[in-house]
Amino acid sequence: MREATSARVAHILREHGFDAYVIHGGLRAWTKGGYPLEPVPSDDMVLLPTFT
Amino acid sequence: MRDIVALLEQHGYAVLALIVFLEAVGVPVPAALALIAAGAASAGHHLRPEMVLIVALSAMLLGDTLLFILGRQTGWTLLSFLCRIALNPESCILRSAESFYRRGRTTLLFAKFIPGINSLAPPLAGSMRMGFGQFLRLDFVGACLYTLAYAGFGYLFSGVIVAVARGAQTVGRAVEWSLFAALVGYVVYRVYLYWRHRKYRVVPRVQVQELASRLSSGEAGGMTVADVRSHGYYDPGAMRIKGSIRLEPNNLLATVKEWPRDKQIYLYCT
Repeated sequence: MREATSARVAHILREHGFDAYVIHGGLRAWTKGGYPLEPVPSDDMVLLPTFT
Repeated sequence: MRDIVALLEQHGYAVLALIVFLEAVGVPVPAALALIAAGAASAGHHLRPEMVLIVALSAMLLGDTLLFILGRQTGWTLLSFLCRIALNPESCILRSAESFYRRGRTTLLFAKFIPGINSLAPPLAGSMRMGFGQFLRLDFVGACLYTLAYAGFGYLFSGVIVAVARGAQTVGRAVEWSLFAALVGYVVYRVYLYWRHRKYRVVPRVQVQELASRLSSGEAGGMTVADVRSHGYYDPGAMRIKGSIRLEPNNLLATVKEWPRDKQIYLYCT
């Protein structure tokens, strides 16, 4: 299912009384539409282990 | 089995190379059977044993190297794709990567004997920046073990292979039933996923144009755009919607506990 994670999270938030929506098409649609992006801040990065 | 032996006797090394290469790049073809058959054909002097080893090893290493390079080039995209079928895609990537990190070197030696892992190990090694020389050494040893085990078995027990070939029809039928059961299982799994996600389809959606328009107007103060991806955060240089914040799906309610209920929250993933 497309937008599986965002739909699941939005559903949970709505169940808890939040006004949550899913952005249709996600980041891909936003990027394709040419809307502004920014790099993910290093604090938010969850880097996986590497052999180097 | 009888078909594979006949095919190998007729077209020899080219067929062996093709089957082994295809399996190495993830196509579900029976390379182990081809190696056993090639070993048996060597014992019957239809093929030369040293050429069987050279051809099989070359094809295997070529396929593995291609997947290694693919893993190196695509980063976590390949693993993200494979984890999409997992029950919890968010944690699948992290668990797979950490497991391979702990046992990656040993895994490469024996991966070829484990269906599914055989074509996952080389791209994982690439994604996790294993040195190419180290990868090649470990993969070479793993490929030697695999080739020698199966081709050696075929060579040493070529008489048994003939007996097995006679029972191939029965084995073939069992394989057909197993494949059918696997297909049914997959369909049931997809139906379950569809049923499980039915409640999520009623969640309201917003188009990107509409959101961009709201953000650029005066409404932005009462809005939060939240990134709930896990996958996208694993590659250095990952981008996100400007002004959005990270919302960890696995720690959701603790994070939003203090958030005002009247604020509009717009969520996105990949």
